[in-house]
Amino acid sequence: MLRYSISTLFIMLICSMTLAQNDTTPADSIKYAQKYGLRLGGDVSKLARSFLDDDYSGSEINGDYRLSKDLYIAGEIGFEEFTTSNDFLNSTANGSYFKGGVDYNMYQNWFGMENMIYAGFRVGASTFKQTINSYTLYQTNQSWPQTTINSGQEFSGLNAIWGELLIGIKAEVLNNIYFGINAQLKGRVTEKEPSNFENIYIPGFGRTYDSGKFGIGFGYNISYLIPLYKKDQ
Amino acid sequence: MSSIKKIVAILLLISVFISCEKDDICASETGTTPKLILRFYDISDQEETKAVPNLLVYGVNDLSDRVLFDHIGLTASNTDSIAIPLRTDFNLTRFAVHQDFEGDDFESGNIDIITVNYEREEVYVSRACGYKDIFNNLTLNLETDFDNWVINSEILNTTVNNETTAHVKIFH
Repeated sequence: MLRYSISTLFIMLICSMTLAQNDTTPADSIKYAQKYGLRLGGDVSKLARSFLDDDYSGSEINGDYRLSKDLYIAGEIGFEEFTTSNDFLNSTANGSYFKGGVDYNMYQNWFGMENMIYAGFRVGASTFKQTINSYTLYQTNQSWPQTTINSGQEFSGLNAIWGELLIGIKAEVLNNIYFGINAQLKGRVTEKEPSNFENIYIPGFGRTYDSGKFGIGFGYNISYLIPLYKKDQ
Repeated sequence: MSSIKKIVAILLLISVFISCEKDDICASETGTTPKLILRFYDISDQEETKAVPNLLVYGVNDLSDRVLFDHIGLTASNTDSIAIPLRTDFNLTRFAVHQDFEGDDFESGNIDIITVNYEREEVYVSRACGYKDIFNNLTLNLETDFDNWVINSEILNTTVNNETTAHVKIFH
């Protein structure tokens, strides 16, 4: 449910900015010096989820550095711990991740504004471990007693590398303070899988799917721009 | 801006597609813990299957109580093969093959008790199904009584890891 409301909110924001864009008139010849600098922030959704969801804890610090009018170097670093459970299997993944890449601003700002609608690319890497807390041997006929094993077996030294396409918005809500939403589409390139088990959840990548190497993610960031210098464009 | 709209549309489609996946439900066609398949053959013509009249199969637990296999149920029709769930908490399963079972009378007909021994191996299936057992080094022992209707048996496959073919031949 949360996922749907999040994506609806996201789409609405995109649409409203798109509509506003269509009314834009070309800026006149007055020069406006744009701020360049390092923008640092954190993912508030991961923080909130850590408090609300007993099965989750995690946090992420993200930053970007403006290279030119539209191009930014961007990266995230974080950790996540998540317990996946159903009637037959309960396992916890725990580890940290790093993502690095670029963001490209596609939004032609109104005069004097420095918002972004951007598309980006990341390479992500995670090192983590998984622990099987318990499992129940799956039988279609349950006449005999069910066997549940509180395993505690740990698979450490796991890793994964993935590529990520993202689109998002960053809006300056107060001077130098930005609020951002982004959506990520990910594809795993390589991963080290445990024997006689699989990577159920990868920190930074999110849950995996049986059908393939793809995953999705969302981010909600608050960040602060440390202005270093100003330039006309 | 049309490029953004395209990206949004693609992301929406993918998230809808992923949301609809049934990854979290163990599908019934998934190969989970296999059952032991017995096939009944004619002792006088060992290539021919031979149905057992009014066969009922049920488990026998540690206290020698009957454990009815719910999906097999009380069978009144003739059958020449049957699938038996094996225990995942012990390395042996005892079960009764009850010939000429009448109505609900467990005293009727002829009961033979069979014990199968095996080694269990846990194999990962999927996130939804978790783990299954497969059974290795299968051996089978018929408990002799004064009137066994089962005459002989033959293990076709000492490893029970699927339900596609019979694992044990029972001659009668």
